[in-house]
Amino acid sequence: MTKLKNWIVSNPDLAFAILLSGCVYGYFAMTNEFFATHRTGFAIMERFAVLGLVGLALTLCIIAGEIDLSIGSNAALAAVITVRFTDSLGAPTSLMIALIVSTTIGMIQGYFIAYLRIRAIVLTVGTLMLLRGVALFAAEEKTVMLTDFRVPDFISTKMLGYFSPASLLVIAMFILVALFMNFTKYGREIYAIGGARKEAVAAGVSLKRPMIIVFAISGLCAGLGGAIIGLRSGTAQALGLQYVLLAGTVAAFIGGVSILGGKGGVIGAAIGTLTVNFLNTGLVFNVTPAFMVQLYLGILLIVVIMFQTGSRVFDDSQRRKQILADTDRMAKLLTARRQRIRSG
Amino acid sequence: MQPLLKLTNIKRSYGAIQALKGASFEIMPGEVIGLVGENGAGKSTMVKIISGFDSGFTGEYELNGEALHFSSPIQAERAGIAVAQQELSLIKTMSVAENIFLAGDKVPTFVTKRSLSKMSKPFLEEVGLGHIDPSISTDRLSVGEQHLIEVARLLAHDPQLLILDEPTAALGESDSIRILDMVNRLAKRGKSIVYVSHRLDEIFKISNRIIVLRDGESQEPRQAADLDVRSLVELMLGRELNNMFPARVAKRHDGAPMMKVQDLWPDRILERISFDIYPGEILGLAGQLGSGTGDILAAIAGATQSRDGNLVFKGRNFLPKTPKEAIDAGIAYCSDDRKHDGLFLGRPISDNLSSAALKRISTWGVRSDRSELEMVTDNAVKFTVDPARLPQEAGVLSGGNQQKVALAKWLAINPDIILVNEPTRGVDVGARAEIYQKLRELADEGAAIVVASTDIQEITNLPDRVITIYRGIQVGEIAFEDMTAAAILKEITDPFDETGLHEGQMA
Amino acid sequence: MTSATTTSNPNFVQRFARDHSPLVIALVLIFMAVCIIGAATAPNFLTVFNFKTIIRDAAIVGIMAIGLTFVTLSGNFFLLSMKETAALAIIAFATCMAAGLGFPMSFLITMAIATVAGAVQGLLIGLGGNPIVVTLGAAGLFFGIGSWWSDNLVVSFRRPHGAEWLGTGSTFGLPNITIAFVIIAIVAELVLRKTSFGRQVYLIGANRAAGRATGHENFAMAIKVCIIASVCSAFVAVAFSAQVSSAHVNYFSSEFGSSGDMTIMVIATVMVGGNSIMGGYGSTLRSSLGAVFISTVDNMMVLHGFNSGPRVLAVGLMIVFSIMVFALVRRGSRAEE
Repeated sequence: MTKLKNWIVSNPDLAFAILLSGCVYGYFAMTNEFFATHRTGFAIMERFAVLGLVGLALTLCIIAGEIDLSIGSNAALAAVITVRFTDSLGAPTSLMIALIVSTTIGMIQGYFIAYLRIRAIVLTVGTLMLLRGVALFAAEEKTVMLTDFRVPDFISTKMLGYFSPASLLVIAMFILVALFMNFTKYGREIYAIGGARKEAVAAGVSLKRPMIIVFAISGLCAGLGGAIIGLRSGTAQALGLQYVLLAGTVAAFIGGVSILGGKGGVIGAAIGTLTVNFLNTGLVFNVTPAFMVQLYLGILLIVVIMFQTGSRVFDDSQRRKQILADTDRMAKLLTARRQRIRSG
Repeated sequence: MQPLLKLTNIKRSYGAIQALKGASFEIMPGEVIGLVGENGAGKSTMVKIISGFDSGFTGEYELNGEALHFSSPIQAERAGIAVAQQELSLIKTMSVAENIFLAGDKVPTFVTKRSLSKMSKPFLEEVGLGHIDPSISTDRLSVGEQHLIEVARLLAHDPQLLILDEPTAALGESDSIRILDMVNRLAKRGKSIVYVSHRLDEIFKISNRIIVLRDGESQEPRQAADLDVRSLVELMLGRELNNMFPARVAKRHDGAPMMKVQDLWPDRILERISFDIYPGEILGLAGQLGSGTGDILAAIAGATQSRDGNLVFKGRNFLPKTPKEAIDAGIAYCSDDRKHDGLFLGRPISDNLSSAALKRISTWGVRSDRSELEMVTDNAVKFTVDPARLPQEAGVLSGGNQQKVALAKWLAINPDIILVNEPTRGVDVGARAEIYQKLRELADEGAAIVVASTDIQEITNLPDRVITIYRGIQVGEIAFEDMTAAAILKEITDPFDETGLHEGQMA
Repeated sequence: MTSATTTSNPNFVQRFARDHSPLVIALVLIFMAVCIIGAATAPNFLTVFNFKTIIRDAAIVGIMAIGLTFVTLSGNFFLLSMKETAALAIIAFATCMAAGLGFPMSFLITMAIATVAGAVQGLLIGLGGNPIVVTLGAAGLFFGIGSWWSDNLVVSFRRPHGAEWLGTGSTFGLPNITIAFVIIAIVAELVLRKTSFGRQVYLIGANRAAGRATGHENFAMAIKVCIIASVCSAFVAVAFSAQVSSAHVNYFSSEFGSSGDMTIMVIATVMVGGNSIMGGYGSTLRSSLGAVFISTVDNMMVLHGFNSGPRVLAVGLMIVFSIMVFALVRRGSRAEE
């Protein structure tokens, strides 16, 4: 029991995320008889495939102290490319092309951010629009559609009850990224430049490598997510997928990232995404109109922010207490010293 | 025996300013060299050159007899030279072990957190922190322990030469002792340590030899055993005093004090502080780096939190909680870090000069360009800043001119009390004299000025009386007649006579 | 003192050449070159009518950009909720008008709602909340409230409704919305240059700690600038609603305008003008010019018969290009960031 308590104290954000996730799931499970079923589980995991990737990508960006506003456009572009070329080149090839394109876009952005020292948020405002234009161009202003629907069927095949090839692929991605972030030097560099950039650079951590890696992963995730959506539904719109930014950001924050950077993790990203998915699916089940989903997401984000701000304020007051305690301790030592000198 | 590192005839200039004028440095393997010198003597320049952060120098640089010229600190690190800066560069959100193995060649690419913890143990032992769990987050440690972790990180790269720049500045008693013990341990193992510090008692405790820098030139290394506080101070302060400091007259406190500071207890201060501030005088707060003199000023100005305290000022009893309250009451405060909160570097100088007194140049919210121009020109001239430069960005000014602007802006509020922390940090000699002159003039006009400084010469020759602070406690007050550098130094480094460093006695 | 007169009132070209580095001047020259090429190849570019169109198209985004500029200059980054504040405002306005409250009353109520929306965000930001995240959440909140209030339906009100002058009217041959844009641009610039509030915006944006040390706290400033930005969004919403006599929460969403996402356009406009995201550097004049710049490029593409794809691409390219140019310029002149 104390072990659990210790874990909660040392990982408050993750504990809060799990709690929130449980609450949301529990709420919908209780208010809707269809929620806690097999099929719903599958639907949630399907949604998880795309949103999970975006949540993962944004989590990484925010950990690194930046954000990728262009992720939706990048994903839409990948969707368009994949769907457009599947008929002529086959799904695997067009998927490859889309992924290469999206990852390269990510790397280029990471390069500019690192080398030109542009804030990511500023650059991605522009690239969001730029990529949208490219997507419109590639789609020739239409909604692109598949003619052969065997691929979408395959991607959505149910495996192991809740999963499909798509969601399994995404889970594999999560595991890889988690290993990368936790067990390699490069992953730790990303945490370092996010949490304390000046200090990290002063300590000799390179800024360029982790930045390019983070945005390359972000591009890859965006591309994969877009491709999956495109192949799964058989259509792609150049102006679509804009909602993923808000949903992904909420997921990342629920999962415990801090806007200051340096905090969070892949597990948190997964839990955050699941929570957003529970919310989404649950609202759909309760026949809530789409616009209300935005409202709830907004409220959820504000709740998480208030919790984080609260815990930051708490941390600050604890720190002050510690400083004062240290000071008092030194004062005691000093008095002892004085007495010693006076008597000795 | 050949020196591990030998620098000869090093010259380094920054534009018109000569930071080093042919200084030399050397250190033997397993030796501890104490590097001392006043602010502006060239210590930080020398440290930067030794550690490879500065390659723009002329002169000889020999490591183990081999002539080298590092173009980056990474090269110096690879050659075995490591420097622990004053500012911590730890990632507070990461664990101790992760901080120790953050960057560089010795950091393994694929490793679990547990192995990292195991690998970090020996280095933690070496700095005296063997009892700490390497997997805890660094921000849970005390500042002193964090400094030790910083050194542990450097040790992980197995350096031959370790430079510690003011390692105990922010530390309390027990942590400082830990650092000194660590230095002794490392020296016994054959490492060479350069110990840069203002704390002369520590310098004497652990150095084999002492190198003094003065005005960009170095003295021959002297055995620590051959020196005492007085002779060391003499070596450090060679500057011509004549023209820099305005003449002083012994002041009598006729009237009531302008402000009574009662039982002020800022957060990092150990005991309540009380003293009086009189109009027409410059009061000095003397204390070493980390003693808390800056905290005291900041507390009076509402810029930092205090647990307790009261100011009796202009018939009121209060303690400002924000800088705005202090400003409205007529208290001006200039911190020791002008780049951080003393200047708006990207804005024109005129904007800076009027920033504290926007209300006085506006009616109904509308600024009058003419009033502003008048006010800022006036104040610029008073502090000998060229009015023709007013539209320029404050960031293009030299250090001395920047400091003048940072100070001059407070004239606009007609302050009764001016609190200044480190009035001439990073300021060239010419500007220093101008600043001292102006502060004296302001005092003569009736203001009360309180100056906190770690510069021994400054704190000895500028104020009319001095209050001494040692590690967060108020030691005493030294009157005008008794103000000598040695006397002040004694009170702020060794008030309880523990190290036996009396003036004139051997260490 | 001759130097005094020069420093307080150098003429515009002198000041421009002095204050701006070669790169920016190059950007301006490129823009002029592009205009010339566009004018040469498209027959209708250099007409008065076309210029009026350019400015009118710039007006809506321009007014919002001016409001947002205050937030950016003060160092509080952006509001990601401009679009949703406009959506909420448009519903509020149309609902009031449809209820027969008349223009002045509806206008006041809408502005009041916008003020509250801005104040809430400013409060959270002033207390230390990160502007990106706070406004992202607020965006969802406002959009949801607007949708719920209108049941996601179109709200219409009948003509005549007393607001024609704003929506579709013109004076001296210029659409009133354009005149509003120009007036707001001038007023905003005057506020920034001539008032102590304007100076505070720059000071707090340039260095928050120094601002605090000289008695200017960001708490009050955040609230004020957020209110300004929200009110500008609401004004635009009212004008648009007056134009079409109706309102729907989605009027400002992706389908609106050629370049899509309004929030992004507004932010991009502020950036294209060369305002620093860190604050303390720039002006509303720059944002206004940025709006005109973007509108010009878009306009030229339309005249050449391009579809929305290439148009968005061109605008996006231009935005990225300007951002990089300004980043390079700033990196050259000041090392800190």
